[in-house]
Amino acid sequence: MSLWQLELKKAFRSPVVYVLISLFLFLNFSLLYKHAGIRDELKVTNELVDKFGYQIDEKMFAKLRVYYLAKLEKMNELTNKKIGKTYKRANDFFAPSEYKNRENFNKAEFHVMMETAMIENYYESISNIDDFYRKLDLSKNALSDIRGYGLKGAAAEHTRHYYRKLGERLDELVQNGEHKTLFFFGMIYRMHALLFKDLMRSMIFQTMVLVVLITAHIVTYEFQNRTHLTAYSSKRGRRLMVDKLAASLVAALCVSTTIVGPSLSVYFLLFDYSGLWHVPVSSFFNREFSFPYISWWKLPFAAYLGLIVVVFIICQLFFAMVAYVISMWCKNNYVAYALFAIGFGVAVFVPGIMPKSSLALFWTIYTPFSLVLNPHLWFMGWNVFFPKNYVPMTIIVWIVLLTAAMAITLLKFKKEPIH
Amino acid sequence: MLVVNHVSKNYGNFEALKDIDLEFSSGIYGLLAPNGAGKTTLIKLLATLIFPSKGEILYNGTNISTLGESYREILGYLPQEFGYYKNFSPKQFLSYIGALKGIDPETLEQRIDRLLKLVALDDVATKKMKKFSGGMIQRVGIAQAMLNDPKILILDEPTAGLDPKERVRFRNLLSELGRDRIVILSTHIVSDVESIANEVIMLKDQKILYKDRILHICKMMEGVVYETVISYEQVATLKQRVFPLSERQEDGLLKVRFVAKGAPEPAWTAVKPNLEDVFLYVYRDEMRGEGAL
Ligand SMILES: Nc1ncnc2c1ncn2[C@@H]1O[C@H](COP(=O)(O)OP(=O)(O)OP(=O)(O)O)[C@@H](O)[C@H]1O
Ligand SMILES: [Mg+2]
Repeated sequence: MSLWQLELKKAFRSPVVYVLISLFLFLNFSLLYKHAGIRDELKVTNELVDKFGYQIDEKMFAKLRVYYLAKLEKMNELTNKKIGKTYKRANDFFAPSEYKNRENFNKAEFHVMMETAMIENYYESISNIDDFYRKLDLSKNALSDIRGYGLKGAAAEHTRHYYRKLGERLDELVQNGEHKTLFFFGMIYRMHALLFKDLMRSMIFQTMVLVVLITAHIVTYEFQNRTHLTAYSSKRGRRLMVDKLAASLVAALCVSTTIVGPSLSVYFLLFDYSGLWHVPVSSFFNREFSFPYISWWKLPFAAYLGLIVVVFIICQLFFAMVAYVISMWCKNNYVAYALFAIGFGVAVFVPGIMPKSSLALFWTIYTPFSLVLNPHLWFMGWNVFFPKNYVPMTIIVWIVLLTAAMAITLLKFKKEPIH
Repeated sequence: MLVVNHVSKNYGNFEALKDIDLEFSSGIYGLLAPNGAGKTTLIKLLATLIFPSKGEILYNGTNISTLGESYREILGYLPQEFGYYKNFSPKQFLSYIGALKGIDPETLEQRIDRLLKLVALDDVATKKMKKFSGGMIQRVGIAQAMLNDPKILILDEPTAGLDPKERVRFRNLLSELGRDRIVILSTHIVSDVESIANEVIMLKDQKILYKDRILHICKMMEGVVYETVISYEQVATLKQRVFPLSERQEDGLLKVRFVAKGAPEPAWTAVKPNLEDVFLYVYRDEMRGEGAL
């Protein structure tokens, strides 16, 4: 077994790691379980895509209309028979005043109503899409950002520029019809937020905790066990730290896989995305707030998911490197945990105290620490703090920074007295 | 050949070693000095764990820092505070150290078995070290140092925690090893080196005091070491005039060994000085503070 493998084994000999992994997976599974109730309703979207495709155009809309009206008629037949009443809209059946009538239907019949109402939602919303995007006025967003964050001078100018660029992207998006696609109803189910905010963000922090724990453990192991004199005077000597670096990075990959793999598997087993892999995330239906999701590039859901996972892993590698450098300087794992936590806090805090008129406000967000706070907005235009180059720039800058930091740390360690 | 060339070592403002010059070729070297004299400092310098503030250490003419890996490859080192992995067995731990020393797996396996037998740990080879006694751990440390069959073997107080039987075994082992390699062992126990060291190095006031064969070192005190048998009442008077080395009860009287310069009294018998005498006399100021006398 090579040295980095021996170092890696040290990390996974600690029972804390297994306890934490089990705990985190349990938390993720229970989060998903809480939302499992909607899985039947989500199937309707897949059925529609199955029948008509996800791209919305005149022809598709006409077909959907026929299908919807047939469904509505069937539903009315049923209600007529049971309660002697018909509905103009399926959603009227779900109005609060109808609660007495609803009691007359069994589960299977209820499902028909629900399905019809869902299709109706899509049918009615589709006619509003054009109107909705026409009315989006990004200069208003610029103004609200400037007012909301109290931006002045160069920062305000930067904000206006940001929304001009986002506007260009919006035009392009409308042009190629990315928005006119079927997807889960974001306003109702918030699937984007569930997956990329609630679940992904939890996973980021869970994995980060494990990565920092393991890295500091591996790096400080000889000092903590007082084997440092033997280890660093051996043939491998101080270069053992290079093996420890490799082991830390591999451990970060292992832990990422262990947390993300099972969690995402359960997610996609629970929620059926079979028809939606190719639907762009900028779909009108993915919208969860008054402002829609606008990805800076045309990204189908599958590609978006893939990118998020890749960025996730890169961020974990960054955290491993940061923890590595810190541990090399302080040589005590508990101190390293504390310093990492403080560093994280400071990095997140700094953008908030930058002068509101300076561009430093926007430069200070390019850290993996700020980045991981909002994984659901990666690659999205949202507000002025989510520029197009946010993710790629952060990655490039921090590869350079951390490579330099690690090189300096390793060189310093080579000349460092070991007592 | 290992050469220490005008080496000084400072810890901040404190100078732990001053202008040390030493040469080592094959043989056993006993680094003999009381606590705090700088033995561990010198040894850590030789193990490249710390670096000289001034001067250089050369192996076959090249600075050992420059040699790096190829120097450490032939180095075996037992630290004074030997750390180990509590949940490992000696076998597992030695395999790990062997990997650090870059020994190929097959050779390693054979060496581990042989060494564990040599230090009489073969019957606990696969037991966790958590429950080991101090002496057993120390023997794991000795085995670890010899794992790569080093040309330079440096042992920092290797006999600490060993029982008399193991001490004897260990001494025999060392005298065998010392034939074709450099063995440096530090100790403040004279008997550890007395019978086996080819040369003894004594440090005093951060400098080398002696580096010589035991016989020569002892010769320097020839004619000033005496023994006499006196009653308890006379002890106090004698101690005012001479430097006492040791005393032993004999038939209700006291046999005192001491150093006296000037003309001897008739009741005194001149004896041949040994290393212990030299040690006690040379470090009389250092030892007094510790209440050794
Ligand atoms: N890391 C350090 N920082 C500051 N001073 C130190 C350090 N290490 C050792 N010293 C000092 O250097 C002197 C020599 O210490 P050293 O450990 O080399 O002595 P030693 O001969 O090995 O003693 P012992 O027999 O107790 O092991 C001591 O006064 C000690 O306090
Ligand atoms: Mg010492």
